[in-house]
Amino acid sequence: MAIDLTVKIGGEAGQGIQTVGDLLCRVCRQAGYFFLAINDHESRVRGGHNFLQLRISDSPVLAPARQVDLLVDLDGVTCEQHEDELKDNGLILCRPEQHPERDGVLAVDFTQLAEKAGDKATENTVAAAVCLALLGAGEKLCRKVVGEHFEGRDDDLKAINLKAVEGGFNSIKESDFKGWNLAWEEQQPKGALLNGAKTLALGAVAAGCRVGAFYPMSPATGIMAQLVQLAEHFPMVVEQAEDELAAVNMVTGSNFAGCRALTATSGGGFALMTEGMGLAAITETPLVIINAQRPGPATGLPTRTGQGDLLFTLHASQDEFPRFVLAPSTVADCFDTMQRAFHLADTYQVPVVLLVDHYLVSTSMLVSEKLEISPDAAPKAPPEPLSDPATYERFALTENGISPRLFPCQSQALVKATGNEHTPDGHLSEGRQNRNAMVEKRLTKLPAMKEEQRPPLLYHEEAEWLLVSWGSSYGMVREAVEILRQQEFDIGMVHLVDMWPLPQEPLQGILSQHKWLLVEQNATGQLGWMLRAEIGVEPQGSIFQYDGRPLEVERLVKQAAARIGG
Amino acid sequence: MPTIKDYSNNFENKWCPGCGNFGILQAMKKAFVAQDLSPHELLIISGIGQAGKTPHFLECNFMHTLHGRALAVASGAKFANHELNVVVNSGDGDCYGEGGNHFIHAIRRNLDLTLLVHNNQIYGLTKGQASPTTEEEMITSIQSHGVLNRPMRPLAVALSLGAGFVARGFSGQPEELSQLIQAGMDYKGFSLIDILQPCVSFNHLNTAAWYKERIVDVTSLEHDTQDRQAALQLAMEWDERIPTGILFQQDEDDFTTRNPWLQQGPMLHREYKPEKIKNYIDGLYE
Repeated sequence: MAIDLTVKIGGEAGQGIQTVGDLLCRVCRQAGYFFLAINDHESRVRGGHNFLQLRISDSPVLAPARQVDLLVDLDGVTCEQHEDELKDNGLILCRPEQHPERDGVLAVDFTQLAEKAGDKATENTVAAAVCLALLGAGEKLCRKVVGEHFEGRDDDLKAINLKAVEGGFNSIKESDFKGWNLAWEEQQPKGALLNGAKTLALGAVAAGCRVGAFYPMSPATGIMAQLVQLAEHFPMVVEQAEDELAAVNMVTGSNFAGCRALTATSGGGFALMTEGMGLAAITETPLVIINAQRPGPATGLPTRTGQGDLLFTLHASQDEFPRFVLAPSTVADCFDTMQRAFHLADTYQVPVVLLVDHYLVSTSMLVSEKLEISPDAAPKAPPEPLSDPATYERFALTENGISPRLFPCQSQALVKATGNEHTPDGHLSEGRQNRNAMVEKRLTKLPAMKEEQRPPLLYHEEAEWLLVSWGSSYGMVREAVEILRQQEFDIGMVHLVDMWPLPQEPLQGILSQHKWLLVEQNATGQLGWMLRAEIGVEPQGSIFQYDGRPLEVERLVKQAAARIGG
Repeated sequence: MPTIKDYSNNFENKWCPGCGNFGILQAMKKAFVAQDLSPHELLIISGIGQAGKTPHFLECNFMHTLHGRALAVASGAKFANHELNVVVNSGDGDCYGEGGNHFIHAIRRNLDLTLLVHNNQIYGLTKGQASPTTEEEMITSIQSHGVLNRPMRPLAVALSLGAGFVARGFSGQPEELSQLIQAGMDYKGFSLIDILQPCVSFNHLNTAAWYKERIVDVTSLEHDTQDRQAALQLAMEWDERIPTGILFQQDEDDFTTRNPWLQQGPMLHREYKPEKIKNYIDGLYE
């Protein structure tokens, strides 16, 4: 029988549920399982109610599940808040003082076992061990993973944590509950344990990124933290800027000087970066920004997810200029899209914004497909030195709008650029004809940019009905389509990853010939607005979720079924 | 050897006749020639305002950026290639107002670049509003009952942030100013040169004569340029006399020296090695 189990661990911030999740993921990976883990936490350092939800399967996992098999209560409120999510045959694991032991409730004194192991702080390790024991994992495999985790760090800490594992496993041996008997033999892992933050950072490194500048902001900070870790292995300057205004202008400065550079932020920080984006646009300096969306406006919901910045990104910064807006669909796609972003920014000398979100950045999963470095990922060498350097014009008018880009102080030719409107040689100018020529020069790039765009991802596009979605919701929508098809609905999906320039033709062909429902994680249907404006198509209905939580497959299935079936 | 002529171009200069910027431009050219720098070996990053336009009137590499952001762009250029000779032209409104936060943190970051602040104590390009250094009670078109805010003392701010090179020049003394710019460029780290300049159109209080009456060369005073506290006292002096010259200079490790990667050479020249990245990724699947 197919394995599909969900474990939910709730605790206060600071109780280490992240560590529990991390251990569970590692053990799952070593046992050859697929998994997907989401974090749900409040914007606070201590206390509150947070949870980690891990779905384990023997086949690739696309989305989190709502129904829980094992609910672990570390904070005394998890049970009350999530008991309705528990399956009929599900199990609650809690502390003895929280719930009397009964059928389906197992009480374990995590604190006592942790203290016995030598440190109360190992409660999380005890909890992880009990979970794994209940799921039928072997103590040997668990000890191996914990041992590896602490290897070379602190021998005492390692010994204490190994004792905590032992305590966790022993506590179950005396219990009557048999748990789930999965096969937990150590196997060749079926992929890598990755999250979106890590694949984005890896993608940047694969594209030869040499500078990162950022100002901390959830949920983008994780991306820069990953970049900092990679900077231990690959030459890179990663600097925490004083604000997002500095961050975006620093990376523009680096790009101007000839190095690929990255900044990442969330909506509020991106709002500040819009000014700098304009400078990159008019000086035709490549610029790559990651906007990891969270619900707004203003501070909004700092640690939650959404897709509310699509139209903002499309129009960010004053006046008009060409740009790319890309929205990767999965953790693995983040790697490819990041490399493309650098390649496109360099090729067309325009800003590129990657729209990701809290869900995509923080979701950890087993990525089975191999991350492949694109042949296009290599940074472009500047053109050959000119025979007469004095004739060089940074903004020379060309047929395709792209001018040869030299780097300052790398040849005799002088590189002059300004945020003012300028003549081809880079000096400011208010001339009317020149202004027209420069606006047209920049916009001339658009047709070729449009050719670069990946068509939407299609799944059963021949169906009568289609769900139309974009970005990180790919996995959830795809799973919903599969469930609906099992329920005999004639439905497929069209999923956009390259948002701007909009890949018009393939969309027009499909959307004008099918009935379709818009699925977005915002309240007004921003993709719908784009489709209406650009290709004049209207959906038969819409499903919006804007509560800041990951798109719920069950809810999506229900609403789509109601709309189609009715 | 480069000459002053190498740095001159025909681009139409729209500064007002008598503007202090002309003295600064002259001092810059002199300094670059004295540094034996050819135009293609120099990168100027500037902000917005009349000072921000400076590089247009010079032959060199430049990026004329955004209001307040010149230091951020310059910092990024230095991350990419710390061998660049970077000079930043900014003004009192650009650097101490709009770019105040970048000013503070560029000092802390201590990249090896030279910041020239054309400080005429007024907004020129937007026609005469108060800047962070405008005198209290001065009447402007916007501050029609006089400026109510206290003026900023930028050199004191820089000193309090641990700046290693803090100087003040005067546009009416291009020779001395040129020496200061050279000293700033020689200094390995962040160097600030605040340059007093008259604005002939909008500041009728702090005129060339007003400055001349007050400025006093710091070398004529009993002052130890390694004494930060003494320099702070001088930096706070204003109404009676205004010390010019190098107020403080001390060697410190700059950003590049503190970064192990940059010790191996500029980022710009690092080879792209996809096989090394591939090996790292392969390791994640083992």
